[in-house]
Amino acid sequence: MLFTADTKRRRRAGARWRAAFDALAFSLLVLGLGGLLVAGADALHYNWQWYRVPQYLYRIEGGEFHAGPLLQGLGVTLELSALSLLLALVFGLTAALLRRSSSWAGHAVARIYVEIVRNTPMLVQLYLVYFVLAPILGLDRFAAAVLALALFEGAYAAEIFRAGIEAVPRGQWEAANALGLSRSAVYRRVILPQAVRVVLPPLTGLGVSLIKHSALVSVIAVADLTTEGRNLIADTFMTFELWFTVAALYLALTTSLSLLVGWLERRVAVGGAGRG
Amino acid sequence: MARSRKRHFGWLDAIVLAVAFGLIGYVVYRAQHHFHYRWDWRLIPGYFVRYDAEQGRWVLNLLSQGLLMTVRLAVWGSLLAGLIGGLMGLCRVSRSVFLRLLGRSYVELIRNMPPLVFIFIFYFFLSGQLLPALAVESSLADAAPATSGVLAWLFGPPELLPNFLSGLLCLALFEGAYVAEIVRAGIQAVPQGQWEGAAALGLHPQQTLANVILPQALRTVVPPLAGQFISLIKDSSLVSLISVQEMTFTGTELAVSSGRVFEVWLTVAALYFLLCFGLAGLFRRLESRLNRRGSHPH
Repeated sequence: MLFTADTKRRRRAGARWRAAFDALAFSLLVLGLGGLLVAGADALHYNWQWYRVPQYLYRIEGGEFHAGPLLQGLGVTLELSALSLLLALVFGLTAALLRRSSSWAGHAVARIYVEIVRNTPMLVQLYLVYFVLAPILGLDRFAAAVLALALFEGAYAAEIFRAGIEAVPRGQWEAANALGLSRSAVYRRVILPQAVRVVLPPLTGLGVSLIKHSALVSVIAVADLTTEGRNLIADTFMTFELWFTVAALYLALTTSLSLLVGWLERRVAVGGAGRG
Repeated sequence: MARSRKRHFGWLDAIVLAVAFGLIGYVVYRAQHHFHYRWDWRLIPGYFVRYDAEQGRWVLNLLSQGLLMTVRLAVWGSLLAGLIGGLMGLCRVSRSVFLRLLGRSYVELIRNMPPLVFIFIFYFFLSGQLLPALAVESSLADAAPATSGVLAWLFGPPELLPNFLSGLLCLALFEGAYVAEIVRAGIQAVPQGQWEGAAALGLHPQQTLANVILPQALRTVVPPLAGQFISLIKDSSLVSLISVQEMTFTGTELAVSSGRVFEVWLTVAALYFLLCFGLAGLFRRLESRLNRRGSHPH
């Protein structure tokens, strides 16, 4: 079959029309689903009160900005996620190094940790930490939440670190050994700096999943975004408005982090290709 | 690096063992002497089976009922999630912009929202509108006793069915997004040349998909799908928060009513672990067997 320039152009124009039509059809579908939701809410005699939502986000009193409960909850979510991420990195790196060490005990401990965390639900781990470990050790609920999240994500961080260390070519180990570096110097000076490049994008992804999992701590009443949302709903009965706002806040947070991941991945890939 | 892992006792072993046993010992010590917890494991077996004096036989108690419910959720949920995810995955690689937009927004929306928030939103929507529209309860009341017996075995006690269905739908819609990504990756992993070769043979795109691409994609898709099945079992604990009576829910109930908090939660965690770890091992063995057979196909 031979395409002339004319048929090609006509095809491309047709494809463009079809794309425009599809985009239109999609917006109609979204509108339809939204309409269905509104109609359903009307059938329940749901009273939409969107105008009441902004005051739960922020208030401006006398020219001063005050964060409302939802933004405060967002702050707690961020704080919780940041602290757990740091602790998870410590757990993950320790587990990854132990797993690669020559020590059978270290290997066994790291393996048991990773398998237990990966084969039980996060919610059950949270209950275990909060109902069993926290009263024994005298932790408050925020510390228990941080510990549970960090233990959970740490097991996944361990796998990321392990893959990152294994991605460093063998020749680097051999060269470092040939130079007579000690084992810890090999890790510190040669392997880990190279592994960081590989590990950075998946670790940002871990941060995204940590923010999502942090919503779970609302079951132990840590005052994060989800808890604030649930409390406000119990007070005001604005179920849909508040849940949609909470979801939008999470969505904004995680999609901006996801975009950051994409950007980092591209940067690291370019840097790796240029230098390698 | 390539030092062989011999079973001799090095200084690192000593440190690791000391730290691990030190931590465990400290927790046990605090539990005994500061928290004054009295361990009592004798009640736990009774939460699995109990003797019903009225019926004069052994019946399943809360924990095993919860376990059964978790298994039911996992089986039906993964079937439904496979269906939703398969369709949405096909949408994501479709040539139509409409279908691609549909698949993309479904996947991105769900993957960027905390599972908990999704479940709560969807549950309010579902319990308010969808389930009354399906009218499950009235049709259930009309069912013959034999049918309802089968239904009870498949879906759990009839009075809990609407509840079970909303949990199931939440879970399936949620996991479907992850299945869709697996399916998309599997289809895109099939080399472009396969599409071109099939087109050169004069196959229609739909025929190409059904007869050429999907059979090849299946091989790459099966291992991550098995992993997703295990994820689904773990995520099913979340629907306890919308009072579906699976294992985490019965665990909460038992911990509160019996006061044996430590024992109950440790048992529940151990049950999940056995279920997921056992399945992971099983899948790994099946996969290696398939690979061995696949490497010498003729």
